[in-house]
Amino acid sequence: MTVLHLVVARSTELAPGIRELALADPDGRPLPSHPAGSHLVVECGPVRNAYSLTGPGAAPAEYTIAVLCRPDRRREHSGAAYLHALRPGDRVCASPPRSAFAPVSTARRHLLVAGGIGVTPMVAHVRDAQRWGRDVALLYVHRPGAGVFSDELATRLGPELFRTTDRGAFGRRLADALTAQPLGTHLYVCGPGGFTDRVLAEASAAGWVPQRLHAERFVAAEPAPGRAFVARLARSGRDVAVPGGTSLLDALAAAGVVVPSLCRRGFCGECRVPVLAGAPLHRDEYLDPDERAAGDAVMCCVSRSETDTLELDL
Amino acid sequence: MSRSVPCWPRAGTDPDPGVDETGRAYAVMAFGPDAAAIAARWCDRIAARGRPLWVRRSDRASDEVLAALAEHLGTATVGWRLMLAGPEADALRAHAVALAGGALDAELTLLITGDEHRRVWCAHCGETTEARTSPGDHLPCAGCGRTLVVHAHVSRPRAAYLGAIP
Repeated sequence: MTVLHLVVARSTELAPGIRELALADPDGRPLPSHPAGSHLVVECGPVRNAYSLTGPGAAPAEYTIAVLCRPDRRREHSGAAYLHALRPGDRVCASPPRSAFAPVSTARRHLLVAGGIGVTPMVAHVRDAQRWGRDVALLYVHRPGAGVFSDELATRLGPELFRTTDRGAFGRRLADALTAQPLGTHLYVCGPGGFTDRVLAEASAAGWVPQRLHAERFVAAEPAPGRAFVARLARSGRDVAVPGGTSLLDALAAAGVVVPSLCRRGFCGECRVPVLAGAPLHRDEYLDPDERAAGDAVMCCVSRSETDTLELDL
Repeated sequence: MSRSVPCWPRAGTDPDPGVDETGRAYAVMAFGPDAAAIAARWCDRIAARGRPLWVRRSDRASDEVLAALAEHLGTATVGWRLMLAGPEADALRAHAVALAGGALDAELTLLITGDEHRRVWCAHCGETTEARTSPGDHLPCAGCGRTLVVHAHVSRPRAAYLGAIP
């Protein structure tokens, strides 16, 4: 697995509790390109967090990310606190950019919906849409005083930006927007888990098919421990017990089978393992509905097994 | 069969897929006599749910009917569904107009009443010939007169099978 070794070029406070970090190649070389909506998985001391890239993606000189760290949630935000403490010149390791939230080239219009710091991938989308002349609109709700990128978004989008700190007003505007988009529109949502779920549920109720809905989830709920099962390794003919509360990834590692992994939260796709028999219990955000239905791969960091035995091509 | 050949359900063999009840507004198009009863069933169901409904019944997917569909697509919003009943050649043409207007396959429901006639696009002159033919058959091109083999390959945007000299 490739790791990017980066150096902090700048750290700027965008709003209370939100800092923008610019990360560059230590030798000043251009960084790997990426589509709008991509993210990095950044090593933040003991944890790895995913952050959307806000800057342009064509051989960029630096990656910019916006990191929220709420002092009242320091425990949950330990990775963010680590990044907030970094200063220019400090080193950081990250994955290459990963794209799971890219614009759809055939879309007639992109409707972006952002809750709080979920605005970061939307900033990249808006900049990219404007560069290529695509139709784009943004609904953005945030806490008072935390409306990062507001000025730039207002300038770029004009009347296509609806920004509010009032949840009621946001809900009404969202309901109107969901029934008024020209056919061919795709919806992109990023924000806290409950917010994302609500937007997707309302869109479905308004007749949006799943193929038009794109969600970027960064705040993973702590997965339930799950039922015990046996991982059968087809190539070595071994059975590995996976107790409840132990991930398949960890159980395999304990048995000496080290699967490359990165985020360990079901986002990045690094730890994909081929399945030969049994039914995976998918709990990741990486596989799409068709891949899930096919049942021939499992993201072993968070996913488990529906069946007592899951046979893997390992 | 090539994966590009449509495998839409056939009336009489497959069950009626029925109305996709997740839609917010609907269009129903019926081509030919065999499609009338199917479309009537769909329209009743949509009307019973109180959803907006746009209906066109015609013998063939003519340029005029397809232009009306394209105009309707221009005003449609996300949540719209299209239901097509009729021979494969007509359904394919309406399907192509719907995709060009921004619809996705997931928003379209089709029930095919026959596939005796096929539209065949000539790879040499670009003309489309409609005839009673099947993949593997030979067919004279109406444009250039070449004898074409009908391939089991369908262009969704052209709504036609591929024809090329053997």
